[in-house]
Amino acid sequence: MRKVTLKNYLTVAFGLFVLLAVNACNPSSNEKKNDASQVEAKELPGNSIYHIDGYWSDQNGDSLQLKAFAGKPVVFTMIFTHCEYACPMMVNDLKKLEALFSPEERQKFHFVMVSFDHVRDLPARLKEYAEAQELGSNWSLLHGNEDLVKELAIATDISFEFVDDGGIAHSNRKLVLDKQGVILKSFNGLGTDPELMKSVLEELF
Amino acid sequence: MIFFILCFLDFVESSKAQVLTGMVRIDGGQFRPFVNDTGQRIRVKPFYLDAKAVTNREYKDFVEQNPRWGKQTVKAIFADENYLKHWENRQKDESANYPMVNVSWFAANAYCKSKGKRLPTTAEWELAASAPPVGSKYHDVNEIILLWYSRKMPEQAAVGSVYQNSNGIYDIFGLIWEWVDDFEKSAAGNQRDGGESIPEGLFCGSGSLGVSDVSDYATFIRYAFRGSLKGNFTSQKLGFRCAKSL
Repeated sequence: MRKVTLKNYLTVAFGLFVLLAVNACNPSSNEKKNDASQVEAKELPGNSIYHIDGYWSDQNGDSLQLKAFAGKPVVFTMIFTHCEYACPMMVNDLKKLEALFSPEERQKFHFVMVSFDHVRDLPARLKEYAEAQELGSNWSLLHGNEDLVKELAIATDISFEFVDDGGIAHSNRKLVLDKQGVILKSFNGLGTDPELMKSVLEELF
Repeated sequence: MIFFILCFLDFVESSKAQVLTGMVRIDGGQFRPFVNDTGQRIRVKPFYLDAKAVTNREYKDFVEQNPRWGKQTVKAIFADENYLKHWENRQKDESANYPMVNVSWFAANAYCKSKGKRLPTTAEWELAASAPPVGSKYHDVNEIILLWYSRKMPEQAAVGSVYQNSNGIYDIFGLIWEWVDDFEKSAAGNQRDGGESIPEGLFCGSGSLGVSDVSDYATFIRYAFRGSLKGNFTSQKLGFRCAKSL
């Protein structure tokens, strides 16, 4: 057995100190998540919507890029919280889908809902909405600026238009994205069969 | 004497128009959407519009300054495989002043933003385009459009070479198709959930408007084309010009 010399001891102690120091300097866990996905982003296929690299705010007020969602399949849609008819039905479709999975399976994918309404759907409002709809931590509701929302809508072929009465005319389109943000399947209209979406999603686990 | 007054007025007009380099101020007005059940008109505020379409030379400078928009680096989600296709062949000198084509909406949008501008909306574009031609070469806009449509594969030409309209805008018809900011709304509020084909509303709309009128026919083709686009599509006949709010 090797004798533990003072020199060895000091080296290990110094190493530990450096590790601790680095850890202490590390930014919040959220930014770490982004760092990790930046590595993956280099390998994202060209048709991944995660190449849209602007910053969004989620319902907790955290700033993130879409590529933060890389790594898990995503059920994606665009809504606005002042929507009285179509959006609640869409959210309902997604909740029905979620209910088909066990709590363990629910950890294997993520729901992302982006608001069309850059004016009214600020993070606080999105949080209220998520709470009212009883959406768990596996749901991200995103607010982005006008240009960013438009780019994402065009990339996902979701059309929307502000109308005079304060409403928004929009497509009711749900997408399943693979782990790298490539649109794998789209479901148009309301009342999508949750079993159908489930079968697409399961393929990606 | 009258001649001189006219010249003077013309001078006042043109100096007023040249507020921003290469851009022309377009007065606001009412715009009637082509597909429109309610007969509602859209109010367009005054704005600036590039007098000419963006050229190959201008776009080349942009790509050099913004490498992410290069042929090899651009992501497929932003531009399809035909992006910049015409640049693969040797670049003839004369083509430097030809309108830039084979660009996607994302690329055109990024170009305009890099200049502190934006793409014009459909309403703005249509309003600017509706002005009659100046000079004696053509009688009206429809003559230009129909002549253009009837040519099988019109030869490319330099920007500014087809005609100028009374707004001071060049070749808004007769040279290329142009991107608009809200191309995806060309179905006028119809939800494009069906996806692939020309939205049904377009056919209904055109029927009720009466396509026997050639101007409606010309407009119909334009709207149908826009309705068939997606953000990353490129075409050898599709280019753009930029706009700016006052």
